[in-house]
Amino acid sequence: MAFLLFTIGFCAIFYLHFAVAHRAWRRIKGRQSAELDMDYVRLEDYFGQSFRTKLAGWMKTLPKATNGSTGLRVFDKGNERIFVAGGAQYPAGRKEKEILVIEGDFNCGRNCDFEKELMVKGNCSIGPDTQLQALAVDGTLHVGEGARVRRWVDAVKELTVGKDAVVKSRVTSRTSIELMPGSQALSLFAPEVFTEGRFENGLQIELTPAVIAQLPHLEKDAKAAHGYDPAKLFSMGGNTYLYNGNLHLSAPLHLRAAFVVRGDFSCPKESLLEADLKAYGSISIGAASVVKGNLTAGGDMALKPNCYFQGLLHAGGAMRLSHGVRGLRDKTPVAAYAAGVVTVESNVVVNGKLASGQRVVAVSTPVAWLEGARA
Amino acid sequence: MAVTFLIGIAYAVVGSATAVLLLYAIRHYLLGYTRLGIETPKDAMDLVGFHMPRVTVLIPMHNEERVAGDILQAIVDSDYDWEKLEVIPINDRSEDKTQEIIDGFALRYPFILPLHRTGGASGKPAALVEACKRATGEILVMFDADYVPGRAVIKMLVAPFADPEVGASMGRVVPHNIGDSLLSGLLSLERSAGYQGVQQSRFNLGFTAQFGGTVGAVRASALESVGGWNPQSLTEDTDLTFALLLNGWKTAYVNRAECYEEVPQTWSVRRRQLSRWVTGHTECLHNYWPDLMRSRFLTRWEKVDALFLLAMYWTAPMVVAGWMASLLLFFIPEAHQTPWLPVALAFLGYQLFSNQATFLEIGVASMLDGTRIRSLLLPLNLFNFFANTGAICNALRKFYWNRFWGSGGDGWYKTHRTRGTAVNGAGGNGSGFGGGAGPAAARSATGLYHARERRG
Repeated sequence: MAFLLFTIGFCAIFYLHFAVAHRAWRRIKGRQSAELDMDYVRLEDYFGQSFRTKLAGWMKTLPKATNGSTGLRVFDKGNERIFVAGGAQYPAGRKEKEILVIEGDFNCGRNCDFEKELMVKGNCSIGPDTQLQALAVDGTLHVGEGARVRRWVDAVKELTVGKDAVVKSRVTSRTSIELMPGSQALSLFAPEVFTEGRFENGLQIELTPAVIAQLPHLEKDAKAAHGYDPAKLFSMGGNTYLYNGNLHLSAPLHLRAAFVVRGDFSCPKESLLEADLKAYGSISIGAASVVKGNLTAGGDMALKPNCYFQGLLHAGGAMRLSHGVRGLRDKTPVAAYAAGVVTVESNVVVNGKLASGQRVVAVSTPVAWLEGARA
Repeated sequence: MAVTFLIGIAYAVVGSATAVLLLYAIRHYLLGYTRLGIETPKDAMDLVGFHMPRVTVLIPMHNEERVAGDILQAIVDSDYDWEKLEVIPINDRSEDKTQEIIDGFALRYPFILPLHRTGGASGKPAALVEACKRATGEILVMFDADYVPGRAVIKMLVAPFADPEVGASMGRVVPHNIGDSLLSGLLSLERSAGYQGVQQSRFNLGFTAQFGGTVGAVRASALESVGGWNPQSLTEDTDLTFALLLNGWKTAYVNRAECYEEVPQTWSVRRRQLSRWVTGHTECLHNYWPDLMRSRFLTRWEKVDALFLLAMYWTAPMVVAGWMASLLLFFIPEAHQTPWLPVALAFLGYQLFSNQATFLEIGVASMLDGTRIRSLLLPLNLFNFFANTGAICNALRKFYWNRFWGSGGDGWYKTHRTRGTAVNGAGGNGSGFGGGAGPAAARSATGLYHARERRG
C-alpha cells in the first residue's frame, strides 16, 4: 500500500514538473522572439526629442477644449491634462499639476513646483529653488539657483544651469551648456559644455620641456630613468605595450604608442600623449599637457590645469577636470565618463559630453590654486 | 581480489567526476550570483558614438540567398558613418543567387566591396584570411550571414576599442526562432545563460570574454600581431580569443550589442554544430593550455578561468563515466559494505547543490531578460542536457580517435539555415528584396526587420 501511494505521489510530482513546462511550450510554440528593438540608436537628447514627438502627437489627436476664463487650450489625456498657453509668467510659489505647453516665452518666480513636464517654445527662465519634473525648451533656458529637476532638461539654444541647481538625469542642448558652481547633473551633452569663468586667452600650450621621457623606450641597453624601468616593458604586438607596475614619470612624457600600465600612472606637466593610454589604477596628467589619444583608467583620473584632450576619457573611479582644461576635436565630439563623481572646475570647456555613473559636479577652482598659478 | 579492485576503480571514477563537477558547480554559482550582485564596472555604453574609427564589416557567405539581402540591408541601415565604413561580403563559392544579391547591393552602395572566392581552401576561417588582406579598417566587425544586427550594433561593438588593451569585442546573440521547435526554445535558454549570464559575469569579474566569431569585432593590428586567423581551426573564434589573451589582449563583452540569430531547429543540425564546437574547442585546449599556464600577462585567477573555459566539454564524458561507475557500485553487493550513510549524504548533497548549478545560470539570465514564460521550459532542458552529453561524448571520441591515428577530422560544416522562403520568383533571399535589388521599404519574410529608406 505504501509503495502504491509512493508511486502515485512520485508520478504526480513528476508529471506536474513537466506539465508546467509543457503548458509554457504550447504558449511559445510558433512564436518569434520580439525582444530586440532593431531600430534603437543612441541619441543623447533622446528624452527631449521623444517628449516633443509624443506631445505633438497628443495635440493632434486628443480632444480639445478652451477654458474661457484663462484663455488656455486644454487637452484631455486620460488621467492628466495638457494646458497650452501663448506665453506666461508664473509668480513665486505657484504649483502646477498638469503638463504645460507655452508657445511663447516663459518665466517663473522663486519656489514654484511643476509636477508634470513643461514644454516652452520660446525662451525660458526658471526661478530659484523651483522644482520641476522635466523641461524641453526650443529657445534659451536658464535654470535658476538651487532649482531641482527630477528628470531631464533639453534646450535648443543656450542653456545655463544655475548655482547649486540639480538635474537628476540628462542635460542636453543643441548649442551650449554653462554650468555654474555647485550645479549637478547625471550627464551633459552639447556642442559646447563649459563652466563659469571661461577665459580663452588661458589656452596657450607650448610644449618645450628641456627633458623628455620618450615611450616606448625600446633600446636593449636602456636604463631606468625618470621613474621608468625598461625591464617592466612588454610588447603586446600591434604597436601596443604593457608596463607591469606603477609608472610615475618625473620628466614630461612623449607617448608614441598605445600603452597599458598595470598600476597607477602619472606624468608631469607639458607631456604629449599621442596614443591611447590605459592604467589599471589611477591616471594623473600634468598641467598644460596635450592628450591626443584616449585615456582609460580602472581607478580615478585627473587632468591638471590647462590640459587639452582630443579623445575619450573613461574612468572606473572618480574624475577631476581642473581649471582651464579643454576637450576639443575636429568634426566629432569628445566624451568624458567616470563611474564615480566627475568634478569640473571653473574655466573648463568640453565640446561634447560629460557623464557620470553618479553625478557631474561643477566647482569653483580653489582660490589657493589660482593664486599659485598667478604667482 | 578483482572485485575489490573494480570497486576501487569505480570509487575513484565517481570521486574524481564528483570533484571536477563540484568545481564547475562552484564556478556556475559564483558566476550566477555575481551577475545578480555586481554592477557592470566597465560599461562603455556612454562612449557609444564617440569613438568612430574606420571599420570593415566582414560577412562570410556560402549559398546564403535566403538571408544575404537581410544582413546587407541591415548593415546599410546601421547608424555608423558611411565614410568610415567598408563592407566586404565574402561569397565563398556559392552556387545559388548569393553573388547576384551581393552585386546588386554593391552597385547601389559604393562602400560594399564584394569578394567572390572561386578557389583556395574552403570554410569560414580561410574566407576570413583572404578578406582580411583587403580590409582597410582599423577595426574588423564580423557577422554570419544569417544574423540581423540592429542599427546601433556596430557603434556599440566599436566603443570598447577606446581602451588600448581591448583586442576584440563580443556582442550578444538572441535567437529569434524560439517557437519553431522545442529544441530552438531550449537553445534560446542556453544562449541567454551563456551571454546575459556567463559572458557578462566573467567580464564583470575582470576575466576575458569569449570571442564568438560573429556579432564581434577585432582590432586589425591585434589580429595581425597574433598571426591572423587560424585557417586550420574549426573554431577560429575560440582560437583567436586565446591567441589574443596570450599576447595580453582582452576581449570586451557588450551585452547591449544584441543581434538576432537563427538557432538549430532539429537535432541532426544541432549535433553537427555541437560536434564542430567540441572539436575546435578541445583542439584549442591542447594547443594553448601549456602557454596559458606560463603566460606572464595573466593573473592566477585568469589562468584558472581560462582552463575552466577550455576544458568545459570534458565534463560530459566525466558525467557519463560517473554514471557508469555508480551503476557498477549499485549492482556489486560487496560495494554496499561501505558506510552508506556518509556516502549517501555526500551524493545527496552533490545532487542538491551541484546538479542545479547550470540551471541556476539559466534562471538568472531569464530573470534579467524578463522572459518568465520561457524560463518555465527549464525542466524540459533535462532532455537537452542528455542529448548534449551524448553528442559531446561522441564528438570527443571522434576527436581523440582521429588524433591518435593522425587522421583528419570532419572539416568545416556550415550550419543549415531555415529562414526565409523564395519570393518574387527571384530565387528568394528571404527578405523580399528580389535578388537584393528590390524596394528598400520591403519587409523581411521573418518580420524581424524593417528596411528603411536610404539616408540622404
